[in-house]
Amino acid sequence: MKIVGIVGSNADFSYNRLLLDFIAKKFNKLIDVEVLDIADVPMFNQSDDQTNSDVIQDLNKKILGADGVIIATPEYNHSIPSALQSVLEWLSFKIHPLDGKPVMIVGASYDVQGSSRSQLHLRQILDAPGVNAVVMPGNEFLLGEVHKAFDKEKNLKDKETTQFLESCIKKFIRFINVVNVMHSPDGMKDLSSTEDLYATGFIDTTIKDINMLDDDWVEQAANKTNAVDGNTYVKLNRGILTVDQINYFLDSMPAELTFADSNNQFLYYNYKYEAEDMLAARRPEQVGYPLAECHPDRAYSSVAWVIQQLRTGKEDVVRTHVPTHGPDKFVVHSYQAVRNGEGNYLGINEYVRDIKPIIDWYLEQTGQQLTGGGVDAVSGATSKVDSVSGATVKNN
Amino acid sequence: MKNFVGIVGTNSDSSTNRQLLQFIQKHFAGKANMEVCEIKDLPSFNKPKDREPPVEVQKLSDKIMEADGVIISTPEYNHSVPAVLKSTLEWLSYTTQPLIDKPVMITGASYGRLGSSRSQAHLRQMLDAPELKARIMPSSEFLLGYSLQAFDENGDLKNQSKIEELEGIFNDFIQFVDITNQLVSAKSVHKKQAQRFSWEDH
Repeated sequence: MKIVGIVGSNADFSYNRLLLDFIAKKFNKLIDVEVLDIADVPMFNQSDDQTNSDVIQDLNKKILGADGVIIATPEYNHSIPSALQSVLEWLSFKIHPLDGKPVMIVGASYDVQGSSRSQLHLRQILDAPGVNAVVMPGNEFLLGEVHKAFDKEKNLKDKETTQFLESCIKKFIRFINVVNVMHSPDGMKDLSSTEDLYATGFIDTTIKDINMLDDDWVEQAANKTNAVDGNTYVKLNRGILTVDQINYFLDSMPAELTFADSNNQFLYYNYKYEAEDMLAARRPEQVGYPLAECHPDRAYSSVAWVIQQLRTGKEDVVRTHVPTHGPDKFVVHSYQAVRNGEGNYLGINEYVRDIKPIIDWYLEQTGQQLTGGGVDAVSGATSKVDSVSGATVKNN
Repeated sequence: MKNFVGIVGTNSDSSTNRQLLQFIQKHFAGKANMEVCEIKDLPSFNKPKDREPPVEVQKLSDKIMEADGVIISTPEYNHSVPAVLKSTLEWLSYTTQPLIDKPVMITGASYGRLGSSRSQAHLRQMLDAPELKARIMPSSEFLLGYSLQAFDENGDLKNQSKIEELEGIFNDFIQFVDITNQLVSAKSVHKKQAQRFSWEDH
């Protein structure tokens, strides 16, 4: 599970950073924590929008890509430091990466309070509509007199404190799962059992007796079926092409194409780029896998839901925006049902595209502009004057 | 006549909180002198090793030190006080501590209906911290909602009942300054606590 830890202070030395480093080290079997500093984030100023600066975009990207966020806050003047406040203002002004994100709060302080008041402020701030994080209730971890708390190896000295921290972290992992269920299309129901995501059955076209998880599944399957390749002609509806021509034709499509059959087995993708250069990563050795092996456990319910929409004919296509590529791309995953002449479900054509260039081209060609709607004041009012960040305008 | 400092709680180029302080300055010119101070040019707070304030902070601090009272007008960002105002208070608490036992009145304006209610509550809690220890006037919430529509072309508040509400609070504040100056028992304790406080190495 990928977690981002945010150090709530811009000080050169911070016990809150030490605390996050300790969490990352101590619980590395449970969670994968990347600790991020905020010292380089400029002071928020709505008259000088720096949302697109590298430092803010970096935070944005990492938060969007994480399963959850842990914020460690000191306490300055009964509240959170201005440095952390400023970060949250940037992350609620033009971009909203914390929206719906599971967040856990911890804090350390020099005095006995252990950041008690600032943690309460932080909860209220994270609850503001522009931020809209989902903060884990209870499990308040306050580390007071922090200058006495760590040993030379930077481990927490007190065993009971560490145990309590571990119980908080474990609850946070569960909390993340609960939040994911909350956000999943069908609410509380776990739908993963509605589909055979491990492809244990077979259909007419299933190539049997080959281990679906073998890296060379494609080669073995081709061998077994005497599959044609190269310059061999294939008759199609409507036309005739060589296998090479079909390949080049599919590679030239302005999208990443993936085919999974109705048995939920991944059979094809238009392999042109390596995984790290793709909008939705695929690796050549994954071809042949059942869909369960292509997704993390937590996604099973959503994957099953999507397939059910297509298999039952409820939908012909399900689309979802995956906002992990920054503001210069708008990546859409479309799951299109593949059906035969009778309308029977044969599988999924998943095509992944960045549609932003298409929109830009359309606007340029027609001379039109995108304008904000009147309902959401976030982008409208806030660019001009102060008094409220867009976030709060919505609610006031 | 009392001398006040008004602090605009934002770094935004255009601000209805600035407008509100300018209105207060003008409307009560017969009762008090007020200088409207900006915080937009202060550097972002970052604990200086020597605890010395930057020049801009020192200037603001001197003005506060000399004033009979301070009026802070705050917007509301994310249910709280803007980072830039927090940063200002951090500078003051970490370096010169001019707000100790200083009478403070809080106002606030927002575009929506709520008029910065949550951020004013946060600001009160912050000003009560031992390292700031201002004397905040109690029971005197002045919330200016729908602030974009609140002023006429001369910068005056349009709503007469809102003006009366402000007059009541402002008159009370002038008295509050006198009363506060009579409260001396806790002063030496506040000073000591504030000087002893430490956020060291948080």
